[in-house]
Amino acid sequence: MTEQASAEIKNATRLGMVVDLDKCMGCWTCAVACKQENDVPEGMFYLRVLTIGGEGIDVPAGTFPNLSLAYQTTNCFHCDNPPCVKACPVQATYKQDNGLVAVDYDRCIGCRYCMVACPYDNRVFNWRDPVQDPAADVAPVGYVEPRRKGVVEKCTFCEHRVSEGLEPRCVVVCPAGARTFGDLDDPDSEVSRLLRERASYVVFPEKGTEPSVHYLTRVGPKAIAERGEA
Amino acid sequence: MSTLSAEPPVTGKAGDRVAGPGWPWIVIPAVLLIIGLAVWIYQLTKGLQITNMRDNVIWGLYIISFMFFVGLSAGGLIIASAGRLFHVDRFKPIVRLAVVEAAVTIFTAAILIIPDLGTPNRIFNLLIHAHWMSPMIWDITVIAIYLVLSLLYIWFYMRRDLADRGSWMALGTKDTSPAARARDDRLTYGLAWVALPAAVLVHSITAWVFGLQISRGFWYSAIMPPLFICSALVSGLSLVIILSLITRHYSRVDFDNGLVSYLGGLLAVFIAVEGFLVLSEVLAGRYPGVPTDAVNQLFSGRYAPGFAIEVIVGLVIPFVLLAVASLRRRPSLVVFASVLALIGIFVHRANIIVIGLGEAPIRLSPGTPLGIPAEDGSSFATTSVYFPSGTELLIVLGIVALSALLFVLAIRSLPLKEKPTS
Repeated sequence: MTEQASAEIKNATRLGMVVDLDKCMGCWTCAVACKQENDVPEGMFYLRVLTIGGEGIDVPAGTFPNLSLAYQTTNCFHCDNPPCVKACPVQATYKQDNGLVAVDYDRCIGCRYCMVACPYDNRVFNWRDPVQDPAADVAPVGYVEPRRKGVVEKCTFCEHRVSEGLEPRCVVVCPAGARTFGDLDDPDSEVSRLLRERASYVVFPEKGTEPSVHYLTRVGPKAIAERGEA
Repeated sequence: MSTLSAEPPVTGKAGDRVAGPGWPWIVIPAVLLIIGLAVWIYQLTKGLQITNMRDNVIWGLYIISFMFFVGLSAGGLIIASAGRLFHVDRFKPIVRLAVVEAAVTIFTAAILIIPDLGTPNRIFNLLIHAHWMSPMIWDITVIAIYLVLSLLYIWFYMRRDLADRGSWMALGTKDTSPAARARDDRLTYGLAWVALPAAVLVHSITAWVFGLQISRGFWYSAIMPPLFICSALVSGLSLVIILSLITRHYSRVDFDNGLVSYLGGLLAVFIAVEGFLVLSEVLAGRYPGVPTDAVNQLFSGRYAPGFAIEVIVGLVIPFVLLAVASLRRRPSLVVFASVLALIGIFVHRANIIVIGLGEAPIRLSPGTPLGIPAEDGSSFATTSVYFPSGTELLIVLGIVALSALLFVLAIRSLPLKEKPTS
C-alpha cells in the first residue's frame, strides 16, 4: 500500500467499499479470511458470498445453455442512514466520524432490535459463548477484542486495521482483486473513480439506507430486482 | 364452564375477605413460577442458544407474549376508562376488576422482556444510555408510566374501602366518609382522562416498535397501530369477560348476566373491526400480485394454517357466537367465544413475528447466517421454521403463572366490589 492510500484511509470521512462482481468468482476467500482475522465464531459470518442465480450456492439461473451466474459478497454496508443505529435503545451501535457503523460490545444489552432493523441481515448474535470452528483447528488470532455471549456483532471494516491506515483483510486477500476500499467522500479516491466511471448498484436503494458498499456489475441489478424483496 | 355461568352463590358479602380462589390456585402458579425462574437461570448460564431463536428468527415466543400482554393490558384499561369517560354505567361493577387486570398484565409484559435480553445484567443501560430515537425506549418509557398510572388508578378506586377494612394497603388513608368517597370518585374520573390516552399510546408505541422498521416488508405499514389497538380491545375485553365471571364465581364482584351479554355484543363489534383491518392489510398486500410480498405467506406454505386459525377460530366463530343475540345471552357461550378470540389474537401476534422475520430479506442463496449451525450442518438459511423450545415455553409459562398468581392474590385481598355511592 502506498503512503498516500494509507493516509486516505486514516483521514477518511466516509469509508466505503466497491466490489467488482465481474471479477468475483465466488471463492469465499474473503469470507474465510474475515473469519480468521476477526475470530468470528462457528456458525457466525460477517461476510457471506450470495449466489446471484438459482436456488442454492453456485447454481446458475436459467436453463442450459441460457445460464447466468454471479456472486454478491455481502457484509455490513456501513450505511450513511443506518436503521440499526436509530433502533438501538442504548446507543451501543453508532456511526463513527470515518463513516464506520460500530458496536460497543460492553454496552449492548442483546435485545437484537438492530438485527430486526437491518434490511440486509448483516448482523449476527452470540447465542452462546464463542466457539471456534473445530474444523479450522486454529486458536483465536486475537487481533480484535473477544466478544461474549449475548451481544450482537458484525463486520467492522476491520477497524483495527483501518485505524492503522490498512485496508480490511477481505480487500487484501481477494485473489481476483475485485475489492476496492477507500473514502467515498474523496473525489480522488479509487472507489470514487470506479463509481464515476462504471455502472454500479447498492442493495435495496428504495429503503433509503444509503449503503457504503457498492457493486460494479453488468448482471447484478436485474437479477437482484428479480429475486429481491419487492 | 357451567360453574362460571351459574348464578353467584349467596355466601359472602361486600367486604368479605376470606372467600376467594383456594390454596391450589396459589400453590400451582407459585410452583410454575419457581420452575420458570430456575429455567431462566439455566438460560443465563447457557445463553440464548437453548431457545429456538437464531439469526434468521431474531425474535420468538418472548416478544410474541410481550406484545400479547401489552395488548391485554391496553384493552382492559381502555374498556375501564372509556366506560368511565362516556358514562357507561353498566361497566361499573367490573371497572375495578378491569383496572386490576390492566396493572397485572402490563407488569407481566414488562417482565417478559427480560428473558429475551442477551445480557440482562446490563438492563439499566436502558436508563443510563437511553437513545430517544429508538421506538424501544419510547415503549419502555410509556410502559413504566402506564404501570404507575394503573397502580394509582387501583389505589384511588379502592383506598376508602381498604381503610374501611383497616387494611395496611390503605397507606394511611383514614377518611371513609361519603364526602371523601365522592372526592375520590371525581379523582378517578379525572384519572380516566389520562388513562385512556395512555392505554391507546402504550399499544400504538408497541406497534411502532415493529411498524417503523423499513427492513421488514410485512411490518412497515401505517395500519399497525390501529390493528394493534383493535387486537388489544378484542383480547383485553375477552380476558376481562373471563376474569369477571371467575371473580363472580367467588362472589368478589356482583353483576347480572345482562352485563355478560352486553360485553359479548361489544366484543362482537371489536372482532368485526379487527376483521376489517386484517382484510384491509391482506387486500393491499395481495391485490398488486407481487409474488415476493410477505402477505402471500398467509395463504400458502408453512404458516398458512396459522392464518386460518387466526381468521376462523379467532374471528369468524366468536363473531357468529356473539352477534346472535340468543347465543350471547348464554354466559357459557360468551366465555367460549372469548377464549377463542384470545387464542386468535395470540396466533395473530405470533404470525406478525414469525412471518415478519421468517424470510431472509435478500433472497439469494445461501441466505442469512444462523449463528449456530443447524442439525444438518448448514450455517445459512433463506427461510426459517420456528417453534419455541422447551426453555422458552417453561419460562413464559412461569411468567404467565406469576400473572395468574398476582390476579388470584388481588381477588382474595382487594375490594373489587363497587360500593353504591350516595
